[in-house]
Amino acid sequence: MIGFRQAKKKRALRIYFVSDLHGSEVCFRKFLAAAKVYEPDVLILGGDFAGKGLVPVLRHGDSWSATVDGQQVTVPLGDYDRLQADVTKRGFYPVQMDEDELARINADPGLLDELFREQIREQARRWCDLVSERLDPSIRCIITPGNDDPVEADEIYAASDRVEFPSFQVCSLGPFSMASLAMVPTTPWNTERECSEEELAKLIDDMLEPLPADTTCILNFHSPPYASTLDDAPELDASLKPVIRGGRPSIVPVGSHAVRAAIKKYQPPVALHGHIHESRGVQKIGRTLCINPGSDYSSGVLRGAVVDLAEDGTCLDFLLTTG
Amino acid sequence: MATSDVSARDASGDRGGLFIRQTSGLVRELGIPAAVGISLASVAVVNTFINFNAGLTAFQKADMYLPLIAAAIIWLVAMFAYRYLLRAVPRAGGEYVYLSRIVSPVVGSIAGLGIAVVFTYVLSTNAHFAAEFTPFMLSGIGAVFHSTAIANAGNSVTSDGWVFGLSLIVMVIVAALSLSSVKLVARIIFGLILLQLLAFVVLMIVLAASSRSGFSSALASYSHHPGAFQAIISTGKANGVVFGTSIASMIAIIPFMVLNYNGVLYSYYVGGELRRPGRTYLYASVISLIVLVVLWGGVWALLRARVGLPFMQAQANLGAVNPAAYGKITSLDSVAGGLGYGMILTSNPIARLLFATAVPLAEIAVNLAFLTVTTRVLFAQAFDRLLPVRVAKVGERNHAPNVAIAIVLIVGAAFCYLTSFVNLSNIVALQSLFFALILLAGGVAATFLASRRPELVLGETSGSEAERKAFLRKVTIVGAATTLLALFTVFEIVSHTSVYGKFSVESIITLIVVLGAGPVIYLIARGIRRQRNALDLSLAMHELPPE
Repeated sequence: MIGFRQAKKKRALRIYFVSDLHGSEVCFRKFLAAAKVYEPDVLILGGDFAGKGLVPVLRHGDSWSATVDGQQVTVPLGDYDRLQADVTKRGFYPVQMDEDELARINADPGLLDELFREQIREQARRWCDLVSERLDPSIRCIITPGNDDPVEADEIYAASDRVEFPSFQVCSLGPFSMASLAMVPTTPWNTERECSEEELAKLIDDMLEPLPADTTCILNFHSPPYASTLDDAPELDASLKPVIRGGRPSIVPVGSHAVRAAIKKYQPPVALHGHIHESRGVQKIGRTLCINPGSDYSSGVLRGAVVDLAEDGTCLDFLLTTG
Repeated sequence: MATSDVSARDASGDRGGLFIRQTSGLVRELGIPAAVGISLASVAVVNTFINFNAGLTAFQKADMYLPLIAAAIIWLVAMFAYRYLLRAVPRAGGEYVYLSRIVSPVVGSIAGLGIAVVFTYVLSTNAHFAAEFTPFMLSGIGAVFHSTAIANAGNSVTSDGWVFGLSLIVMVIVAALSLSSVKLVARIIFGLILLQLLAFVVLMIVLAASSRSGFSSALASYSHHPGAFQAIISTGKANGVVFGTSIASMIAIIPFMVLNYNGVLYSYYVGGELRRPGRTYLYASVISLIVLVVLWGGVWALLRARVGLPFMQAQANLGAVNPAAYGKITSLDSVAGGLGYGMILTSNPIARLLFATAVPLAEIAVNLAFLTVTTRVLFAQAFDRLLPVRVAKVGERNHAPNVAIAIVLIVGAAFCYLTSFVNLSNIVALQSLFFALILLAGGVAATFLASRRPELVLGETSGSEAERKAFLRKVTIVGAATTLLALFTVFEIVSHTSVYGKFSVESIITLIVVLGAGPVIYLIARGIRRQRNALDLSLAMHELPPE
């Protein structure tokens, strides 16, 4: 096990890392609460903070109605908070509107897109406020974007006094540095932050090559390395449906070749990843401990990883957590 | 990337339902047909002949209709419990994850290790079944190709040593195939499953086209014994075989048939990919259960009509208690059951090849799928720090979990050695017991679901407080019913010491290893980590307050 021979090394830094919360209010609150349980020096949310779904909540007389998990739910006006909690638990944004507004959104995709971005920005403000209110000032909170996060949210986090937002930057983590990258290899969904493997390789080199040789830099790259078991996802056909082979969904690696090459080249002690929710796990590539804590945000369950680093830059210990 | 939560169809906002923005992620798109395919592919259809034989051998007055239906009902009840578990914990993971999340991380970890060992044991017993059927396979192939050398080779591979060696070869073949590409393995599994289903369909056609007298004549011709059919019945009677049927026997056989259906609910293992998981899983499981009841009940009805229950009871028991007397009458393998009957009823070489190779090929297909699941369970243990991280290491060249496969191969070989020296009924009994215990684990998780993690299931209902309480009660009742039925299965196994309870030293050691591995490894891992001042394992599943 890792740490057997390094037992006498002194811990220099403890990280608590999560990823892919996708707008789940419950998971974000648990993320902040984790500071008291795991006692980290720094909390890191490594991308894909934005929610994916928007639920119209319509007022009909003295009740609210919405569709939750495919079922029509109607509650009295006074029970809006409960309905809201049901929706936000799944990482969706409940938006109060009337039938006319709903019709306009249905008719205008641009309007819907703007509504989404507004909700994501609004949530970013709320989350920044929550960090200020609830997180012990001695604990740093770093949030970086992922490929599904719209760029409009960046400025909200970047402007926060309490949250650090080192997107596509190398930041200091006490005795270490951390390079963060939101970009992922091209996906079938044409998301906000994706590029070719060649471009990705160049972006990584642009960040890491200028670093002094004695710098211990850990990686916070949203995309996991290719074929590392941290990137196993169902194979999709042309219509984006899972391919079934041998009575099972066919699972294929979808990580980044460029990220794998960078890990092999630079050999950081730890590489933190997300992106593939179902590929929670740990894998060593050379000396690098690669971690994908996975994500179960839709159940309101926070998956994370506690990582201890020693003064000499080696990884002392880690633990995948479910809370 | 990742898994989003709703079907693309829900994205249309014209129902005022849900708008989905353009993000990466698999949209849950596995529908009912795909889920049925997954469930049926997880069931070793031809293994029913192994379980028919185990039931006939173990109990006097055995019949299969009631056990087949009762076992289906047990799985049907369990299906509802797993449905709630799936809704509460939609990610793949099975009982290990359910118990960890719902009951206790410690209990989950213990169950996880137990399941890893059980699955490895199942790999070895499947290899053992393949080895047991090798003589039948060789004699069938010999008959097809008119080769006495091949047919005779079948007679010389029946010793315990040979069975062990052949089991080992099956394990090595499966491990070697697993080191190749995932797509190739999937194609192999698919091909083998198709062959298995084809053999089953052809057998039903052959039986349907035959008659009792036709079977008697065919057996006489095959055995070079004009009165073979009656001779087996009369010799069986002389050796103490009791004919007829009894309710008590049929109830006692239920655990064998529970084992028969194993895999039928496995679409919940891919719960994260199912479209509307709860509903899809429910329909897929019910359809799969109905298909299997009709298929197996149908073939049993055909066997009863064409071969007759007295003959099957006499053959299975005589072959087990007095193989010498049986061997004097016929060379037809007494454990081959329906496949053996098909073999002598047809002279079509392709049909004969299908019957001869059905069980060994089916076991290879099942083991290929099981090896993947087993390595995944080992991975989960490694990620939870109960096993060294290097267990989860994948090869640089083949991207396969070489270390985990090697571990499964080594432990499986040890189990092969043990199972080769334990009689067949005990092996099936142990396997039945293990799967009953896994079912019990699922039942326990479902029973505690509503009281320990109500927030995970209450998403299903948005009604009044009273409605919510009623829903939670329903979840608990379904969980408790599953637990009771699993306990009944365990009780039937434990209480019939003459069959299930004749545990040898080896099988008891196996049982202790399976049940004790979890707690021992957990305590060792936690102790070592405490000594090193490392992160406490109990933090791994510490419940975080959302506020």
